[in-house]
Amino acid sequence: MPGKFGKPTDPDYGERLAEFEARIARGEKIEPGDWMPEEYRRQLVRMISQHAHSEVVGMLPEGAWITRAPSLKRKMILIAKVQDEAGHGQYLYHAAETLGVTREEMLEALLSGKAKYSSIFNYPTLTWADIGTIGWLVDGAAIKNQTMLAQCSYGPYSRAMVRICAEETFHHKQGKEMVILYAKGTPKQRAMAQDAINRWWWPALMMLGPHDSDSPNTPTLVRWGIKTKTNDQVRQEFINEHAPEILEAGLTLPDPELRYDEATGNWIHGPINWDEFWAVVNGNGPMNKQRLEARRRAHDEGAWVREALAAYAARKQQTAVAV
Amino acid sequence: MDTQWPRWEVFKQDTPSKPHQAVGSVHAADPFHALLTARNVFARRPQAVSMWVAPASAIFSVTKEELAEGQELKPSTSDPKPSTYYVFRKTSHKRSMTFVDYVGELEATSPEEALKLAMERFTDAPAMAWWVVPASSVTKSEDSPETVESWFAPAKDKTYKQQSYYGLVGAHPGKHKRTQGDDDE
Repeated sequence: MPGKFGKPTDPDYGERLAEFEARIARGEKIEPGDWMPEEYRRQLVRMISQHAHSEVVGMLPEGAWITRAPSLKRKMILIAKVQDEAGHGQYLYHAAETLGVTREEMLEALLSGKAKYSSIFNYPTLTWADIGTIGWLVDGAAIKNQTMLAQCSYGPYSRAMVRICAEETFHHKQGKEMVILYAKGTPKQRAMAQDAINRWWWPALMMLGPHDSDSPNTPTLVRWGIKTKTNDQVRQEFINEHAPEILEAGLTLPDPELRYDEATGNWIHGPINWDEFWAVVNGNGPMNKQRLEARRRAHDEGAWVREALAAYAARKQQTAVAV
Repeated sequence: MDTQWPRWEVFKQDTPSKPHQAVGSVHAADPFHALLTARNVFARRPQAVSMWVAPASAIFSVTKEELAEGQELKPSTSDPKPSTYYVFRKTSHKRSMTFVDYVGELEATSPEEALKLAMERFTDAPAMAWWVVPASSVTKSEDSPETVESWFAPAKDKTYKQQSYYGLVGAHPGKHKRTQGDDDE
């Protein structure tokens, strides 16, 4: 149930804010019904709904490959994975709904193009090796972000994240297994794996968000325990884990400046092309139009199912009343 | 205009020895539709043996903070005849996938009275949040062996998604030396 949302102009705002921040400092979860600053609520609705949209749109690049999977085993894994993403969208929409926003409003924001979703899903999947690479890099980056968000101070978001991370781990592992298999395979398979890594590496780094210096929301989010790490921290963790494994698999990374820094134990990356990132975020990526069109089409073409279910429910209720 | 289907809260029981726990919600046109959707969303993977759904609008929820603010629990006495309420409670801030756990049922004439009674009766652990749900608004999955089998067993067969399946990739990176590819021609 929507809680009480405090505004800085409220007479007791300072006092309530201090209590609220003390709760977060003690490691307590904020639950629906508890007092929270209006800005805390606004940031959460923004983040959680974007996140939910990303899960839903994320089904599209992979769903296209279900019919073209190279074996029954791979097809089953991919179907299960795409089904998972649908479930993740549901968990997240639910978490946002506890803040008083409706499912309908969020869906409308997505279909009208008003709402954002992860930039990464605006890139095309060109070969089967892309499916493994998305699992390894894109889900790998997502898990890094999501394990951090599982510590979130807002109970419903935190719980959705714990659930999602548990399932996302499978996606990460199967993707990694697929790419390593190709990396060890025929020259053609190795070339496919390398090509996919080349195309997905930078978008995967970008999906963790702009540099901290260009991320105005981050300090507030960290202060209120919505995020517990910054974009650059999460990005560094992702690179430190994935770069050595990809190199060890006999593949290369498309960053000539990438190097291991003995002093800090970090893998240092070259400059990220943020112009490309912002172009994609603002709707000008390779697949933005197609993705939204596919979503709208699915929504429109599914209308008869929704109508049939509503008619069935209404009829059953009438029968029940008559009896 | 709000044209979306009503929201139903979903309670999942992992094993017969565990309580039903609130896992999230679904939108559905009727209780059976809600149960089916809940099964598809929340029991795709092990484990589950039972699920309940209740319309979100039928749930009376209170957090510890709301109680501390002295929110009056004024039992509405519109229906003097007692009916059964299910009581759910959250007892920990630890990381978890679930919210409130089922702790028991009691007879009361209103949700407020049910909560008062629950706070007197279920005192073995501190409560961070309470949910009180009229038993009449809860729809349960059938507990016949056939239903349990057809609804919940298929998820157990998804062994290809267990982490152990990917033994190769949990290993140290040094193990990923090139050998012959053996799959996915």
